[in-house]
Amino acid sequence: MNQPPLLEMRGISKTFPGVKALDNVSLTVRPGTVHALMGENGAGKSTLMKCLFGIYNKDRGTIILDGREVNFKNSKDSLEHGVAMVHQELNQALTRSVQDNLWLGRYPKVGGIMVSERAMAQRTREIFQELSVNVDPGAIMSTLPVSKRQMVEIAKAVSYHAKIIVFDEPTSSLTETEVEHLFRIIAMLKDKGCGIIYISHKMEEILRISDDVTIMRDGTWVATRSAQELTMEEIIQLMVGRELTHRFPPKNNRPGPVILEVENLSGKYSRLEQVSFQLRQGEILGIAGLDGSGRTEVLENLFSSMTKGSGTIRLHGRTIQNNTPRQSIRNGFALLTEERRATGIFGIRDIRENTVISNLRGYLIGGICLSDKKMAQDTDWAIQSMHIKTPNQRVQIRSLSGGNQQKVILGRWLLTKPEVLLLDEPTRGVDVGAKYEIYQLIIDLAKAGKGVIMVSSEMPELLGVCDRILVMSGGRLAGEVDAQNTSQEEILTMAAKYV
Amino acid sequence: MSQNTQSKALQREHWDAKRIGNLLLNNALLIIMILVAIYIALSEPVFLSPSSIINLLSQTAAYLPVALGIGGCIVLTGTDLSAGRCVGVTACVSASLLQAADAANKMWPGIDPLPIPVVILISVALGALIGAFNGFWVAKFKLHPFIVTLATQLILYTALLLYIQQGNNNGQAISGLASQYRDFVVGPLVKIPLGGGQTVSIPNYVWFAILLTALMWFIWNKTIFGKNMFALGSNEEAARVSGVNVFLTTVLVFALAGAMYGWAGFVEGVRIGSNTANTGFNYELDAIAACVIGGVSFVGGIGRIRGVVIGVLMLRLIFVGLPMIGMDQNLQYAIKGGIILFACALDMRKYLVRK
Amino acid sequence: MKKKFALALAMAFMLTILTGCRGGNNPPSTSGSAENPPSQAVNLKVGVFYYDFSDVYISKVRSSMDQALTELVGKGNFTNYDAAGSQPTQTDQVTTALTAGCNLLIVNIVETSSPDAAIGIRDAAADRGIPVIFFNREVSDDVVNGYDKCAFVGTNAPDAGHMQGQMIGQFLVDHYDDVDLNGDGTISYVMFKGQEANAEAEARTQFSVEDANALLTEAGKPQLAYYDASASTKYLVDVNGKWSAQAANDYMNGILSTYTQSNGNMVELVICNNDAMAEGAISALQQSGYNNGQGTTVIPVFGVDASDSARALIAAGNMVGSIRQDAQGMADAIAALVSNTQSGTDLMTNINAERGYTVDLNEDGTIRAAKIRIPYHIYTGEQ
Repeated sequence: MNQPPLLEMRGISKTFPGVKALDNVSLTVRPGTVHALMGENGAGKSTLMKCLFGIYNKDRGTIILDGREVNFKNSKDSLEHGVAMVHQELNQALTRSVQDNLWLGRYPKVGGIMVSERAMAQRTREIFQELSVNVDPGAIMSTLPVSKRQMVEIAKAVSYHAKIIVFDEPTSSLTETEVEHLFRIIAMLKDKGCGIIYISHKMEEILRISDDVTIMRDGTWVATRSAQELTMEEIIQLMVGRELTHRFPPKNNRPGPVILEVENLSGKYSRLEQVSFQLRQGEILGIAGLDGSGRTEVLENLFSSMTKGSGTIRLHGRTIQNNTPRQSIRNGFALLTEERRATGIFGIRDIRENTVISNLRGYLIGGICLSDKKMAQDTDWAIQSMHIKTPNQRVQIRSLSGGNQQKVILGRWLLTKPEVLLLDEPTRGVDVGAKYEIYQLIIDLAKAGKGVIMVSSEMPELLGVCDRILVMSGGRLAGEVDAQNTSQEEILTMAAKYV
Repeated sequence: MSQNTQSKALQREHWDAKRIGNLLLNNALLIIMILVAIYIALSEPVFLSPSSIINLLSQTAAYLPVALGIGGCIVLTGTDLSAGRCVGVTACVSASLLQAADAANKMWPGIDPLPIPVVILISVALGALIGAFNGFWVAKFKLHPFIVTLATQLILYTALLLYIQQGNNNGQAISGLASQYRDFVVGPLVKIPLGGGQTVSIPNYVWFAILLTALMWFIWNKTIFGKNMFALGSNEEAARVSGVNVFLTTVLVFALAGAMYGWAGFVEGVRIGSNTANTGFNYELDAIAACVIGGVSFVGGIGRIRGVVIGVLMLRLIFVGLPMIGMDQNLQYAIKGGIILFACALDMRKYLVRK
Repeated sequence: MKKKFALALAMAFMLTILTGCRGGNNPPSTSGSAENPPSQAVNLKVGVFYYDFSDVYISKVRSSMDQALTELVGKGNFTNYDAAGSQPTQTDQVTTALTAGCNLLIVNIVETSSPDAAIGIRDAAADRGIPVIFFNREVSDDVVNGYDKCAFVGTNAPDAGHMQGQMIGQFLVDHYDDVDLNGDGTISYVMFKGQEANAEAEARTQFSVEDANALLTEAGKPQLAYYDASASTKYLVDVNGKWSAQAANDYMNGILSTYTQSNGNMVELVICNNDAMAEGAISALQQSGYNNGQGTTVIPVFGVDASDSARALIAAGNMVGSIRQDAQGMADAIAALVSNTQSGTDLMTNINAERGYTVDLNEDGTIRAAKIRIPYHIYTGEQ
C-alpha cells in the first residue's frame, strides 16, 4: 500500500468557452491496481482522459507519471511514454488486416522504409499467445465480429507495454465469456504492476474488479474510496448527487388481450431461427440473451430492417406483411434502434426535424408544402410529454445528452401512432438519473395500451420493467419467464442453452 | 475435435453452386474480359498477331502511370481531377526543354536540349510539387480532394496556357523534339522478328511502365508509407490516434501521384509529339475509370496494383478490340460506361453488409 | 435472390457486349464478299478517323461518307473512329487500326497547330506502303508532299473567312442604317472564335473582319468597331477549343447584361467562327428579346457551316447568313480517291480541273501539293 503512485493527476482544471468542464479534479493510480472512474455522462470523465492524453490542453494542474511530471503533446507521445487507451468506439482501419491495425504507426522496419511482414506476424502471434487471444493475425478487420475487434484493440494497448492502460467501456460489445477473458487479462496486467483506469457504467463490473473508485460529477471530483467500502446504492447516490430510492418506477400497466402473434420468424441473412411468441396489449415484453444471441435480430426481422427469411406475423388476428421498414411503420410498428448515433439521430439536424421525420406526411398542406406550425406543435408535444430538456426545438440534437436524444426518438415514433413499440437497448448510453425517466415513459406507454418489446443487455433493467421475458440463445428462443418470479441465474442458464 | 471436423464439413459443404456462383461473380470482370478477348480473337484473328498484342500493351503502358498515381488518391477516399492538366504541364515543359536544336519554332532558342535524366528529374519533381500542393490543401484544410484538384486543375490550365506562350512559342504546339528524346522513350530496345524481314518493336516506355508498376507495387505493399496510406484511407481517426503522421502521409500520397503524372508527361510529350494546352486533357477520367474498374474503391482503403493494371488493360481492350470487330464507335462509350457501372456494382457487392 | 439477379446482370451484360458487336458493322468474313463490287484490284479495309463525332458539320460529312464508302467497299470493310477531340486517342486509334490490317487511312486530324501528329500518322502509313487521305482539318504541304500516297481533301480555310467577310460587308452596305441601332455611324460588333491556334479559326477571325471592312471602306462607310474598345484581343474564344454554342451563349449573355440598346452601346453585329456559336449567341439574344421572329429587332448574326439548324434560323429571319461547306462534295472527292486506290491506280489519277476538282497548283500550273479544295458557298437562305 505504500508504494509510490504510478500516475498522479493533481488539481486538473479545464474551461471551454462558457463551460467549466473540469474543476480541480485529482486522480491517483497505484501500480498493480484497477482504478474505476465513474460518473454520469457529461461528468467530465472523458475530458479528464483527454487532458491526460494531451488531446486537450489542461488549464491548470499537474500530471506526474512515475515521479516525473509529464505533458503529452498527443496520443502518440503518451503511447511512447507508456500510457495507452482502449477506446469505447472502435477506431480501426476496417479494410486492413488485424496485424496491420495492431502495429499501425510503428511498423517493424527493414531497410529503413520497408515493413517487415515477418517480424510483424511473429510479434502479433506472441502478443496474442500471451493474452490467449484467438484471432487470425491476417484476417481483414471488417470480417471479424465486434467482440474480436475489441480484443484486438485491447491487445494493441497491451502491446505498447504500457504502464497505464485506460479502458473506456470495454465490455459494451463483449459476450459474457469474453468479459471473463478481459478480466483475466486485466488481472495479468495488474500482476505485472500496471495501473488500470477503468471507465464503465456497469456497477457489477466495477465492484468486482476495481480496487479504488473515483466518482465525478459535473466536472468536479466527488469521492475516491476503496471499492470494498462501497455499495451500488452509495455509488449511484454519489454519482447522481441525490438519493435514488428506487431504480425502477412502480409498474402499474395492465396487460390486456393478445394483439401480436409471431410464428416461426427466421432471418434470411441473420442468425435467427423459428422464433414464435405473443404480445399483449399494454404489456412490456423483455428479450434477454447474450450478445449475438439474436435479441436485436428478433426486433429487426420483425421490423424488416433485416431481411426476413420466413415467418408469419399476425396483428389483431390478421396476417400482415412487414416486408420493408416503410410497410412495418404503416402497420403500426416502431423501432428504436440500438446504435443511436449511427442509426437513430440525425446529429446535425435540429430537434424538430428529428422529431417529425417519420411522420412528414402528416404535416402536408395541399399535398406538397410542409406546415411549420403543425410540426412545431407536435414537437412541443413531444418535448413536454417526453420531458425533453432543451432550450428550444431548434437546437442540434447532438448537443443534447444521450437520455434526451433517446426521448426525442421515442417522441418521433409516438407521432406515428404505433401499436407495437420495439425498443432496442432503450437506456444504452443514458445516465443513471435519466434512465429512471425512460423506464417511466415505457411503463406509461404500456399503460396507454401500446404493446412494448424491449431488448436489453442489462438484466436488472429487464427484471424491473418487463412483465414477461423471452430468453434468446444462439439465434433460437430458449425460453420464456415471468419477470416477477425469476432470477438472473435462471435467465443466464437459459441464455447458455444453445451456445 | 468435434468442432474441427464440423468446420471441415462446413468448408466442404460450401463448395456448392453458391460458392461457385460467388467465385464467378467476384471475378466476373476478368472473366468477361477474357471472353471478350477470345471473341475478338476468333472473329478477327489478327487481334492475336504480335504487332496487335504489342499495340495493346504499349497503349496500356502509356496510360498506366496516371492510373497508378491516381489510385493512391482514391485509396485515401479522394480523387485527383488535376491529373490530366498536370500531365499537360509536365509534357509541355519536358518537350520545351528537349526541342531539337533546329526545331522550327524552338521555344527556348538559347538552350540546347538538356540531358534526358535532368529533364526526367525536372518533370517528375514538377509533378510531385503540384501533387504536394494538392495534398497540402487536402491535409491542412481538410478540403475534399475533389474540390482541391478541381481548383488546381484550373490553375494549372492557366499556367499551361501562359507557358506555351513563352519564349518563341506564341501558343503554338511544342514539337520538333530532339531525336535522343524520341529514342529514349519510344525507341525500341527489343525488336521481335516477324519473319520475312519484318520486325515489330516494343517501345521503351513499355519497359518503363513495367518498372513503375513494380515500384508502385513495392510502395503500396511493402513500405511503411504504403501501409499508412491504406490505414489512413480506411480510417483516418484510427491512423491519427495510432500516431501516423496524417498530414505528411496525405501530402506524400498526392506528391507520389504527381510524380507519376510527371513521368507520364515526360513520356506523352514525345509519344504524341505535339504538345499544346490540350495535352493531357481529361486523362484523369480514364485513369479514375480504370482504377474503379480494377477494384480501387471510393470507399477508401481498398485497392491493388493488380486491379489498376487490369482496369487500364480492360479500357484499352475496349478501345483496341471493339473497333477491330466492327463495333459501332457510337456504342463504345455506352459500353465503357456500362463496364464502369457494372464493375463498381460488383465491387460494392463485396462490401455491402447484408442484414 | 440477389445473387441470381447479379448473375443475370452479368450474363445480360456479356450478351450485350457480344451481340453489340454483331449489331454494328458485320465482320468482313460474313458479308464483305457479297457486297463488294466484283473484280477489284485491291481488297480495301478502310479506317475513317474523325476528330470529333460531336461536331455537327463532321456528322454531316460522316453520313455522306458512310454512304459513299458502303457503295465503294461494302458495309463491313470500313470502320469509323471517334477521337473525341483528343490527338492521343486518335494516334492510338490509327495504330490499332493498322495492326488490325487496315490498308487505307482516311484521317480528320485533331491536332492542327503542329504537323507532328499528322507526320506520325503519315509515316505509319508509309511504313506499310498504304495510302492516307487527310480531310477537313488542314495538314501542311510538307505532310502531303512527303509521301506519294498521301493527299488532303478540304476547303481552303481562309476562303471561309474571306467569304464570310464579303457576305457581311455586302449585307452592311445594303442595310447600314438598319444595323446601326444607335445611329452613331459605326457598327459595333463582337467576334466569337472557336479555338485558339487553329488555322481555320484564325483565318475566319481575321479575314471576316478585314474583308468586311474593305467593302465598307469602298462604300465610304467607317470600319467596324469592336464592341469593347479596351479589349486587348478583338475576339472572345471558346477556352475549351470546342467551338461550342455554350461558350458563345455564355459570352453573349454576359455582353447583353452590360451592353444594351437603352445605354446606346448595344452590340450591332455578331460574327461567329461557326454556326454552333452563332446559335448560342442567338439563343442569348432571344432571351433578351432580340432575334425572335417578326416584331423583334434582329441583330445580324453570321456563322459558318450552314448547318441544318442554322438554315432554319436563317429561314426564320433570326440569323442572316452562313458559309456552306459542301459535306457531300467533300465525301465525293474522298470517294474518288478511295476508288483510285481500289482500282490500284495512283491516288491522284484523274483528279484535275477537267473533272471539276480544284487542286493546289504552283504558278506554272503544276501540282504544288496533293490537296483538293472543295469550294465554300455563301448561304443566306434557300434561293
